[in-house]
Amino acid sequence: MGRIFLAISAVVLLLLLVVSTPTPSRVAPENSQSVQQPAVQDKADLRTLQARYKVLSKQLSQLMPNQPYILVDTARNRLYVKHQEQVVLDAIASTGSGTILDKPGEGNNRWIFDTPRGEFLVKSKLTNPTWIKPDWAFIEEGLAVPQNAADRAEQGVLGEYALGFGKGYFIHGTLYTRLLGKNVTHGCIRLNDSDLKGVYKLARVGTPIMIF
Amino acid sequence: MNLCAILLLLAFTTPSWGKEIEAFPALNLHNVNELKEATRVLEEELKLAARPQTYLLIDLGGSTIHIKSRGIGLHQIPIIAWSAESRENLKGIHRLVARPPVARRKIEPGAGVEQEPISLVDMPTDYVLSFSPSLSVTVVPSVSSDSLLQSAVLLGKVGWRNMKDWTSGFFTDRSSEPKSHLRLTLSVDHTQSLAWSLVDGMAVVIRRPTDK
Repeated sequence: MGRIFLAISAVVLLLLLVVSTPTPSRVAPENSQSVQQPAVQDKADLRTLQARYKVLSKQLSQLMPNQPYILVDTARNRLYVKHQEQVVLDAIASTGSGTILDKPGEGNNRWIFDTPRGEFLVKSKLTNPTWIKPDWAFIEEGLAVPQNAADRAEQGVLGEYALGFGKGYFIHGTLYTRLLGKNVTHGCIRLNDSDLKGVYKLARVGTPIMIF
Repeated sequence: MNLCAILLLLAFTTPSWGKEIEAFPALNLHNVNELKEATRVLEEELKLAARPQTYLLIDLGGSTIHIKSRGIGLHQIPIIAWSAESRENLKGIHRLVARPPVARRKIEPGAGVEQEPISLVDMPTDYVLSFSPSLSVTVVPSVSSDSLLQSAVLLGKVGWRNMKDWTSGFFTDRSSEPKSHLRLTLSVDHTQSLAWSLVDGMAVVIRRPTDK
């Protein structure tokens, strides 16, 4: 009797188990899919973003000069020649004084003696350059501007080399080496003889000059 | 396996890029929001770096202002503190309308007296930069100065600036023109360094921090 009761109980228990155990189709409810799908979507988004970030970083790297470039810090009067992250040459310079000079007979027009900021290119490389004195050089000294172009030429004041970067601005040498490290120029960038020689050797026509 | 799957497989098995510089080295590559912001900034920066110019990247997440050109960091200025109104509007490229005014010394022709050049100490320490499209950046010095009197003066200036900002906001119709506003606190030297490096029309891109 006891055996029969046990057997019936076992069958009932088994039946109950079968009924209460969810079938595989019930195990995969619709909402479980909706929980897993965003996770998969998020992973896909993350991978897409990671790939996009790498592509953009690479594109930005490709815009950086792959040749030496000149970097000028006008606030601290330093000139560097850099190749990628490496400093190839570090020099004390003199840059623009920021002073102003009125243009005579031109109302409010005036010269501002700043070193221009931005990105430029070496446009010319000169040896033993002659300074063709501009109008301001005479006016500043209280002299009349000469009519004859030959009267503007002055030898030996720019050092042995000069690198032009447009609009009359040059990197050149100086007789006033005691003023290196100060903002004293009319916009050009002055260096001592040995640093100037180094820059001249490292730079080519087309070398970028970044000034800030 | 379809073509997309093959391409995806290739993308993830390709060895890492060669020598390109990581645009944001501290970036969490597993954070979707950080990646979204970084890629947005990189997309903007690529437009700027493609042209010969210097530009600003204000990295609020990294608490640094970068002066850049061609993707190269020329100079960095640490941010001590910052706050922003309508952070979601701090995106896109903005251009500086005018750099802060500088008191320049005038050369007297023929006077024979060498004028003091302008230097970093002549630069303003608290100023508002207006950008187009509508963005204003207030730069204030940190008041953790050694001298008590100097601190009091700086606090007074900052307080005055706050009051001016508040009154101008009160009397102008802000609803007609959505204006983004950013306030940066820098060390005194760095406020002057930033003012020195700015150029009229200079572009700025802002990287906003993301909530972790």
